[in-house]
This record gives sequence, C-alpha cells and structure tokens, in this order.
Amino acid sequence: MFEITVVGESQGSELVSSTLEACHVASKLSNALGVNWRIIVDEDAANSAINYGSEVISYSIGEEHKQSPDVIASTVTEILEPTKVIVMAATSTGKDLMGRIAQLLSAPLAQDCIGFEIDSGDVLFKRELYGGKVLANVKLSGSPILASFRPRSFTPIDRLDTPAVAQLHSIDILLSEPTVILKPRSQKENLDVTEASIVVSGGRGLQGPENWTILEELTDALGPTATLACSRPVSDEGWRPHNEHVGQTGRSISPDLYIAVGISGATQHIAGISGSKFILAINKDPDAPIFRVADYGIVGDLFQIVPELTSAIRNAHTI
Amino acid sequence: MNIAVCVKQTADTESIPKLSSDQSHVSDEGIVWIINPHDESAIEIAIRLRDQCNGSVTLFSIGPERVESALRQGLSMGADEAVHLLTDAMPIDQKIIAELLARRLKSQNIDVIITGEVAIDGGGAQVPQRLAKLLHWSCVTAVEELHIEATSFTARQPVEQGDKIHEGQLPAVIGINRRIMEPRYPSFKGIMKAKRKEIVKESVELESPSYSIESLRLSAPRSEGKVVTYQQGVVDKTIKFLQEKTSVI
Repeated sequence: MFEITVVGESQGSELVSSTLEACHVASKLSNALGVNWRIIVDEDAANSAINYGSEVISYSIGEEHKQSPDVIASTVTEILEPTKVIVMAATSTGKDLMGRIAQLLSAPLAQDCIGFEIDSGDVLFKRELYGGKVLANVKLSGSPILASFRPRSFTPIDRLDTPAVAQLHSIDILLSEPTVILKPRSQKENLDVTEASIVVSGGRGLQGPENWTILEELTDALGPTATLACSRPVSDEGWRPHNEHVGQTGRSISPDLYIAVGISGATQHIAGISGSKFILAINKDPDAPIFRVADYGIVGDLFQIVPELTSAIRNAHTI
Repeated sequence: MNIAVCVKQTADTESIPKLSSDQSHVSDEGIVWIINPHDESAIEIAIRLRDQCNGSVTLFSIGPERVESALRQGLSMGADEAVHLLTDAMPIDQKIIAELLARRLKSQNIDVIITGEVAIDGGGAQVPQRLAKLLHWSCVTAVEELHIEATSFTARQPVEQGDKIHEGQLPAVIGINRRIMEPRYPSFKGIMKAKRKEIVKESVELESPSYSIESLRLSAPRSEGKVVTYQQGVVDKTIKFLQEKTSVI
C-alpha cells in the first residue's frame, strides 16, 4: 500500500523542479511515518520520474487533454489506490488541480504549505496566514488528506542510484470539456519568479519601462538562477508583464536573495516576499518601508548604484 | 444572465492581526474589514457582464453578523441582491464553505458563479474548484481575462509555463484574480440605493471541520537589517556582505 502520493507536474519529458521538492517532502514524510511513497505522472515524464521515486505510476490521456485540469484530476483520482497523504507543488497548475482532486475525494486540503511536522502520528502542515503575518500549524482529519507545498520551501530530492520501473495506466476519458490549450510564454527564457533563487525586482522608482535594461543586465550578471520581478504599480502601468508581479494579489516567492530596486515596500508587496531568505533594498528614500524588512539597504540613486553593482558582480565572478 | 458572486469578508492588509487570549484564533479586535480584493474584482466583472446582457447579480457570503457590511458594499457597487448565510463564527474549512454554498446555489437559477481565486487572509485557494465539482459544472481559476457569451466562456489562466486558454460551456464557476480588473468605488447614488435593499439572511449550521488550526503564532518580524547611504566603496562592501550571508553570489 502506498500511503503517500506525489502528483507530478511535468514540462515536456521532465518533472518540474517544484515537483522534485514535493518528492522531497514525500520522502521525508515517508521516513517519519514509516510508509511508502510514489509518484503519479503523465507518461511523457515517466522516464524522468523513475530517477527520483522508487515507485512510479504513469497515465496516458492523449495530447488534447494534457492541459485540462479536470481530465488530470479525474485520471489521478481514478488510478489512485488507497493513499493517506497526497502532495503536490503549489504552482498555479498544482493549486488548481489539488482543489479539484480534494473535492473529488471529498477530502481536506491545505494549499501553499511551507513546512510540516509530525505530532504524535499526525501530520501538521505549516501555513502562512494574513499575508505572512501569522503562522499556523494546520491539522487535516480523515483519509486521504491533501497538501500543496510552496515552491522553494524544500530542496529538490536527490536522484536515485538505480532508476525504478514505471507502471503505465491508460485511461478512458469521460470528460473533455472545457477544452484547454497552453500558449507557452513567448518572452525570452526567463525563469519563473517562483522558481528563481535570485529575484531582481523593480518598482516605480525605475520611472519607466525603458529603464529596465539596468535590471536586465544585473539579472544577467547574477547568472541563470536569477530572474526579474516587479511591484504591482509597475505591472498595472503595463511596464512589465503581470506574471512578474510579486505581492499579495500577485505571486508569493521565497528566493535566497531578493533585490528590491526602487520599490517603496507597501504592505501588499511585503506579503509576497516575506519568504525571501535575504532582502537587499535600493531606494533613494531613507524612510521607505522596504528598509524595515531589508537585511541590507542602500539609500541612494538606483541609476548609479545598480550599474555599479552589476559590474562588481561581473568582476567577482571572473576572479 | 443570472450571475452569482461569492464574497468573503477579510481583514484589510494594513490591519495588524493579534491572537485571541487562548491563541486559538486571530482576534477580531482592531481589524478593519474589507471585501477580499479578488472577490471585489469578481463583483466588478459580474456587474459589467450584467450590464452587457441583462440579468442580475446576486452576492453570497458566509459568516457572522459583521459580514453584512461587505454585502452592503457590494450592493453599493451595483449588485442586485445579497444572501447572507449567517454563522456564529467565520468558518475556515474550505470544504464546508463550498458545500454550504453549493447547497444554497443549487436552489437558485444561476448561469455563472464568479468569485476570487483565493482569500488574502486564509489563502485557501480551493473554493471555486470544489464548488464546480459539487455542482458538476466547468471551472477555471486564477483567471486574468474572461469573455462570456450567452452559453459559453473563454478564460485565460496564467501558469508558470505560459497562458492556459480554457473554452467551455456555461454553467461554470470562474475563480478570478484581482489583476483582471480594478473594482469601481461605490457611487453616492449606489450607496443610497443599497441602503434600501434587503439582505436575505439564512442561519446555517457548521458541520465539524476536517481542516482545523492546531496552533497559531505571530511571525517574528524580520530582524532589523543594516542600512547605509551610498558613497564610494559601498557597493564593494555590499557584495562582500552578500557573499558572507547568502550562498548565491
């Protein structure tokens, strides 16, 4: 009996990194509770999944259904043998899917968890409430229970020495409505803000979209694990795309390093970045609220500081 | 077109939450109550849709007496009717909330339910999906662009890899994100009109929850960092500091 199941999310033939983090959660849980864990994933990613989980179940649902949360939720629910805990990464796709699976199983769900602990045999899930101002330990009763985990709350699971063997289930699709297609991002290959370990974020202090070059150069100097983000006024003005908007009504992120440039730091913005391990703020206003949450702040002209920072990082990397 | 909007009353972002004396819940003391920002935009979308194609907008909200002010505000924005499912305390179990809403909405002739994808206080992010499963309707959530015709819808949902475009038939549950549209402020005329509207109140019992809070604590504020004024040499010091304190530079 598989008591913990990870619902895998894949891009092409690979599991996404947040799913590898969810696998890490499952393996920690399985050690703590002394039970098995497995991965359920689309057949396209089965050859990736067998490198991480010793038990892999894959399903085949046909190209036209691959983006449909209803089809995936029904499929996963159908092939799910008795299981006690279902975990997934709390990506946009993951949160959408878990809500559906939870109701199909009439089971409780804690979304966007940032940790867990075991308390006399019960799993308690750690969640942020009130935009990160309150932390809760949540108990889910019954079986199964579901939890999604915020990307970057755990490190990815290590690769197995010997790949496992996957079992394939083909599913008859009963549902095909609505039709869902994915339009992949057309912009340059920037990492998603939730996946990057360094996030360079610009606010209204940048004065206009034409000035983003200096942030792009800084991001570039910081390497492939860095990406761009922005504050809400910036995306509202249309200076940057909405998917870069970090904050209460935007994305919540937990990078190792968050660099806030020309961002004053409204409460709504802080709500989305409170999981950052280190915050560097650059702002000309010494009274900007961002300095109250920053680990390191520089008061001054961002147009002078950012290019200097970029060249200093380039130099540091070439030494 | 009959449109239902499910609304949650939440704490304003600027409110500083305090815990109750037994630490079991966040106290109502000192909280400024607002409509969950995503739900507020859902009301805006619903009103615009009604104005295009006739019909009505009915608001539904669950919670204690105080919730009435959120419904009153929604009526001031231009919603036609409001139903308050009255409980002693605000339920936090999303499954129970969805079941209560589904049971009540079944008795109404509704073409589309529009609601926020998530509440900013509890961050549940599952009521739209659950509601749709309970009603056997289609569902799209985290929607940032929506077109509704007489019997069909097209919705854009941003995901990590791009945009998902959902095309389906009504009835449907649409969970939207605030970014879809800023809501209007109630007009003076709207406020006066809303004062005369009756809010339907129905008491409901809450079943025992399968989601409960075991313990709560206030987050420790981030420790005060170092703030320096820019001058020669500051950037080099910053890099050194980042190298010491983070593993990514």
